[in-house]
Amino acid sequence: MIASIGPNLPHDVLVATGRFAGPLAVDTRRSTERASQWLESKFAPWTKMVVEAWADGDLDHLEAVVFSRAEDSSQRLYYYVCELQRRGLLRGPEAVIVDIAKIPRPSSEGRTTEAVRALCRRFDVGDDALEQAIGQTNERRRAMPQAPEGRRCLVAGTAAPDDRINRIVEGCGFVTVAETLADEWGNIGPLVTEGTGDPAAAVGAQLHQFSIGPRSFADPAEELLSRMRAVNAQAVVVWRIEEDEAQAWHLPAQRRALEESGIPSLVMTRRDWLLRDGAADEIASFLTGIAS
Amino acid sequence: MSTVDVTRSRKTLACTAEANAFQKQFGLQLRRRVVDEGEPFAIVQADTPHEIFHVMDIPIITNQWWSAYISAKQLSTRYFDAMVEAGYPQNSCKYCSLGLACTLANDPKTAPWGGLPKPTVLVARLTCDCIQHVFSQWSEALGSEFFPMEAPAWEDKDPQWFEHSRGEWARVYQPDRIALMVDEMRDLIALLENRTGRKFDEAKLHHLMERINEQEGYIWEAAQAIGKARPCPVSIAEQMPNTMIPQWHRGSDWAVAHAKKFRDEVIDRIDQGLGASSNEKLRLMWIGAGVWHDPGFYQALEEKLGAVFVWSMYMPFAGPQYIREIKNAPMEALASRICSMNEVLHLPPWMNGWITSEAERCGIDATVVLLPPDNRLSQSGTKLTALSLEKAGVPVLMIDADMVDAKRWDHDRMVGLVASFLADRGLA
Repeated sequence: MIASIGPNLPHDVLVATGRFAGPLAVDTRRSTERASQWLESKFAPWTKMVVEAWADGDLDHLEAVVFSRAEDSSQRLYYYVCELQRRGLLRGPEAVIVDIAKIPRPSSEGRTTEAVRALCRRFDVGDDALEQAIGQTNERRRAMPQAPEGRRCLVAGTAAPDDRINRIVEGCGFVTVAETLADEWGNIGPLVTEGTGDPAAAVGAQLHQFSIGPRSFADPAEELLSRMRAVNAQAVVVWRIEEDEAQAWHLPAQRRALEESGIPSLVMTRRDWLLRDGAADEIASFLTGIAS
Repeated sequence: MSTVDVTRSRKTLACTAEANAFQKQFGLQLRRRVVDEGEPFAIVQADTPHEIFHVMDIPIITNQWWSAYISAKQLSTRYFDAMVEAGYPQNSCKYCSLGLACTLANDPKTAPWGGLPKPTVLVARLTCDCIQHVFSQWSEALGSEFFPMEAPAWEDKDPQWFEHSRGEWARVYQPDRIALMVDEMRDLIALLENRTGRKFDEAKLHHLMERINEQEGYIWEAAQAIGKARPCPVSIAEQMPNTMIPQWHRGSDWAVAHAKKFRDEVIDRIDQGLGASSNEKLRLMWIGAGVWHDPGFYQALEEKLGAVFVWSMYMPFAGPQYIREIKNAPMEALASRICSMNEVLHLPPWMNGWITSEAERCGIDATVVLLPPDNRLSQSGTKLTALSLEKAGVPVLMIDADMVDAKRWDHDRMVGLVASFLADRGLA
C-alpha cells in the first residue's frame, strides 16, 4: 500500500495504482523524543510524529510514502527520511517525492506534468488506468458535501491536527467550516479535464493551477474573502501556529480584508498546534460573544 | 587580556582592507547608477544566476548583501519593529526579509541610500515557503515585478557531490533540473532584454564563466592551503570578505585579480609561519551565515583560549559549487552552479557529507552551529550534520541566535557559551 504526505498531490494517479491507503494518519499523542534529535524546531509539528512512527516501525506495512514538494515541511522531510534510511536509522517504506512546481509559467507546468508522468512510471500506472481514475475521482469532486445549514464559522489558517477546533466551534452553536491536516492532504482539488488523450498532462495542469497551499501564487486575502463568501460565513477564526512560515506574510492584508468585510473575526498567530495554550477558551469566548 | 572590540574584527591582511575599500566604492557607484541616474537594476537573492546580469551589465543588489549592509548599520531592530507594527508576526523569518522591512518602514531619513528606488525586477529561487511571499510583497511595495525560479526536487543524492561537481555536474545535479533552470534563465533574459533594451550574449557568458573559474580556482587554492596550514594564517573574519566581496562581482577583472592577490597573501603568510592568532590551540568551524552585527565574536576567544575559527562555508564553497568545466555549454554549466546552491548547504545528505569531509580536511577540533529560531531553512540540516560531526569525533555546540537580528544576540553571553562548551568537552 501507498500513503501520502503533504498537499497538492496527484490523487488521481495514486487512486489509479489501486494501492492508495490515503494520506498518512498522524498520531498526535506520540512522543517525539527520537525525531527531535534529527529534526529542527521550525519543522511543522506533525513531521516529528511521522518520523517517530516511522522509527517505531508503524509504517513497515507500506510499500511507499509519497511526499509533496508543494509544502516546505513535507518536501524537506523527504530528504531527512532518505538520509535517515541511508544511515540505517530508519527502515520502512520507500520515500518518493512528487516535484510539484507552482510558478505560473509554462516551464513549471511542464515540470509538474513530468512529475506526474514519473509517478505513473514508478507505480506502473498506464494512461487507461489514469483516465479511469480521473473519472472516478471527478465523481468524488462533484459529490463534495456542502457545509450544513446554520450559522457558519470559517476557520482558516493552519490545518488543525484533528477536529478539536470543530468541537469547540460547534459547542458554541456554530457550524464549522474548517480543514484538518487529513482534509488538507486529502484535498483532491478541482475537476481534472477528462478525455484529453494525455491524462498525465491533464492532472499536471490541475495540480499546477490548484490555488490552495503555501506555494500557491493566488492572493491569500482574496482567497480568504472568497471562501468567506462561498460558505456564507458569519464568523471567522484565523488560527496559525508558531511553525507557520508562509501564511504569516499575508496577515496584514488578511486583517484588512476581514475588517472591511465587517464579519466578526478572531486572528490568532504563533499558536500551539495541539491547542495547549488556551486557544480553545479564546475561540469559545469569541464565538460566545458573537452569539450573545 | 582580550584586545578584541566586541563589534569589530581585527584585520591583518592588506587585501582585506582593499576588498572593503572596493566594496565601499562599489556601493557609492551602485548608488549613483541606480538612485541618482535611475539605471535599470535588479534585486536578487544570492542563489540566483547573477552571471546573467553581469553579462548584460545590469546592476544588481543582492538581498543578502543589502541585509548585511542594513544590519551592519545597526538598523535591523528598528526595521523589524516596524514590521511588527505593520501587523506581521514577531517570529517572521528574518534573514531574507530585512530588505522588505526597510522598504515597508518607508523612512528615507534612516534607510541606507534613502531607500531603494523601483528595480526592473526582483529574482528569487523558491527554496522555502516564505521567500515567494517576501519577494511578492517587496516587488509590490516597490511597484516592480517578481521573477520566481523553481527549486526543484533533487532525487540523485550523492553525499560526495563535492568531489564530482566540477566535471560531472550534469550527473550530480540531474539533467532535468539543469534543463528547467536553463528554461527559466532564458525566460529571465527575455524579460530583461524587453525591459531594459540591453542584449544578452552567450559568448560573453562563456568568457565570464572562464574568468569565474579562474577566480574561484584562486579561492579554492587558498582554502586548500588554509586547511593544511598550522597555524591558520587567516581567520574567518577575513576569509569572508575576501571571498564574498569578489563573489558579488564574480568574473570581473577586479574580482579575479583580488582573488589572486588574496591567495598570494595567504600563501605568503603560511610561508612565513604567520597565524591569525599567535596562540592557536583549537581549530573551530562555524556553520551558518556570518553574524554580521558582531564580527568581533569570531576572534573573541583567540587570545584567552587559543580558539580560532578557521572554517566557515563561504571560502571552501567556492571550489565545489562554483568551478565548472564549461564543456561548450555555458548556460547549462551556469544552471548546475545555481540550481542547488542552497540545497547543498541546507539539506542532507549534501550538507553533512560536505561539512564532515571539510572538518576532516581542516583538522577541526570543534564546531559551532548557528540555529536561527525563526528560520526553518537556515536551521535545516543542522541536527543531522551535528550527528555526522559528532560521529566523526568533532564536538558540536548549537547556539540559538539570528544572523541579522541584533536583538537576539548578546556578545558576552555567546562568547561565554562557546568557552563553556569547549571547557565541558575537555578542549580548553
